[in-house]
Amino acid sequence: MTSQTILSVDSITKRFGAVVALRDISMTIEAGEITGLVGDNGAGKSTLVKLISGVLRQDGGTLAYDGQPATFTTPAQARASGIETVYQDLSLTGNMTVWANVYLGRELIKGPRFLNILDKAAMIAQTRQMLGRFAMNVPPIEAPVDALSGGQRQLIAIARAAAWGSKLILMDEPTAALGVAETQAVEEVIRGLRESGFSVLVISHNLEQVFRITDRIWVLRRGQVIGQRVTKDTHPDEIVAMITGAAAAMSGNLP
Amino acid sequence: MTTAADQQSRSSLLAELVRRLGISLVLLALVVFMLATKDQFGTYANIANVLQQNAIIGIVACGMTFAIILGGFDLSVGAVAALASVVGANIMIDAAAFNFTLGIAGALLACLSIGAFNGFLIAYVRVNPFVATLGTMTVVRGLIFVYTNATPRFGVDYSFTTIGLGKILGVPIPTIIFVGIALLLGFVLHRTRFGHYVFAVGGNAKTASEMGIDVRRIRFSVYVLAAFCAACAGIILIGQTASAQPQAGLGYELTAIAAVIVGGASLGGGRGSMGGTIVGIFILGVVSNGLNLFGVSAFWQPVATGFILIAAVGLDRGSHNKG
Repeated sequence: MTSQTILSVDSITKRFGAVVALRDISMTIEAGEITGLVGDNGAGKSTLVKLISGVLRQDGGTLAYDGQPATFTTPAQARASGIETVYQDLSLTGNMTVWANVYLGRELIKGPRFLNILDKAAMIAQTRQMLGRFAMNVPPIEAPVDALSGGQRQLIAIARAAAWGSKLILMDEPTAALGVAETQAVEEVIRGLRESGFSVLVISHNLEQVFRITDRIWVLRRGQVIGQRVTKDTHPDEIVAMITGAAAAMSGNLP
Repeated sequence: MTTAADQQSRSSLLAELVRRLGISLVLLALVVFMLATKDQFGTYANIANVLQQNAIIGIVACGMTFAIILGGFDLSVGAVAALASVVGANIMIDAAAFNFTLGIAGALLACLSIGAFNGFLIAYVRVNPFVATLGTMTVVRGLIFVYTNATPRFGVDYSFTTIGLGKILGVPIPTIIFVGIALLLGFVLHRTRFGHYVFAVGGNAKTASEMGIDVRRIRFSVYVLAAFCAACAGIILIGQTASAQPQAGLGYELTAIAAVIVGGASLGGGRGSMGGTIVGIFILGVVSNGLNLFGVSAFWQPVATGFILIAAVGLDRGSHNKG
């Protein structure tokens, strides 16, 4: 499998006061793959995602995105370069309609520029088209997001992330709050993203899911990279051992 | 493949329509009841009176609609209206030439500064809107009393009363100004990106910020807008009394908030409409007018307003608990 690296993390360290959240982390995300990021609570997974998406800044080390050094100081900068993040809380506004959420912050404008009049008809039509690309069952475009199911909301958050010419999509626990059928639907959408050429990083606690959808798995423990495995060449037991530290204990190199 | 979704969309739109019409139906029922029971209600003089009396508080409520959808409110609007009245009238009395223009400009400047101060406190210092605007309300009202010794000052040229008491084609000029402001702000709220962002910030400020919306700028602008509306109200008040009135606008803030809530907005933010606010204003206005026509003491009017407010919020809760 020849792959091209879309994002590389090089020797990154992040501290919160006296706590070292990430210690000298290096990893890569390969283009066109679904990469899983696993680890126990407090391993530093969410911190790493926040560094990549520009929410946090590292204390040491560098990021390179698409072959260029990346220094994002705001999420907007990361987004402008093509890195979208789907947060655990989905960042949806419940009182607003589906189309308003998809276009939030990037509304289409019609008429004289200074009036900033919303082009609602165009946004509604394009949202329908956009959601149709990812889902068989398009949720009602003009209903408030509050009226939708958890799976439909997840779909909207993912579709929004994929809609803006992005290349890399980061997802923090995309199915944590979903039922079995909805989880399946969202996993289908994530696979669809890979088929459309997106690179995806998924944080998940659900190892079965990680094995169902990812191409490669990175394991973090206590702020350090334990290792990476190609999904089809490894076994859940090995990953569990890496997550819990059993592997390190067995081979005798305790951190 | 999308029929189920479309049906769901259609039925929720229908529910939305009924909810919106619901409040209009209440107003309609009130008007029909009044027309049926009091001949006097339908007379031109009385209708013009209702339209004129509710225009000023209506303008204040237009600004308040933005603040409430944003998830806050502005308690200082009554004091700001009084500030416009006092500053504007004093300039009109003392300045020799162009005194109306100067007076209006002075009143606007003073009020917009207060609005900017509110906006700064709430948007940038993150002071709770209740505390911030309660503070400015008290400070502004106090300063007005210090400056005026709490006494009205008369002497504005009577030609200015055209603004407050005049009519064009039989329609009171304050009503025309109210309609103009309501249409303009209704357009801003429901058709422009700024209004869209007011709903977004009111619904979920964290998300709005994550999506790149400048939440602070939106919050700041809304409080300036609320003060602008209060200033317009105060300037029309000069036109009704030809004087500086330190006591003007007492209780405007609560009536305006009541009208906006009766009109379907939620104090939690993210929900409301300009049309709803206008209906809310006239529900309160027609009830107040009706009490008058039935010879009920004016002291009962706040009681009625209070009960209507509680009923409106209570009904809203009921409809939410179902979901």
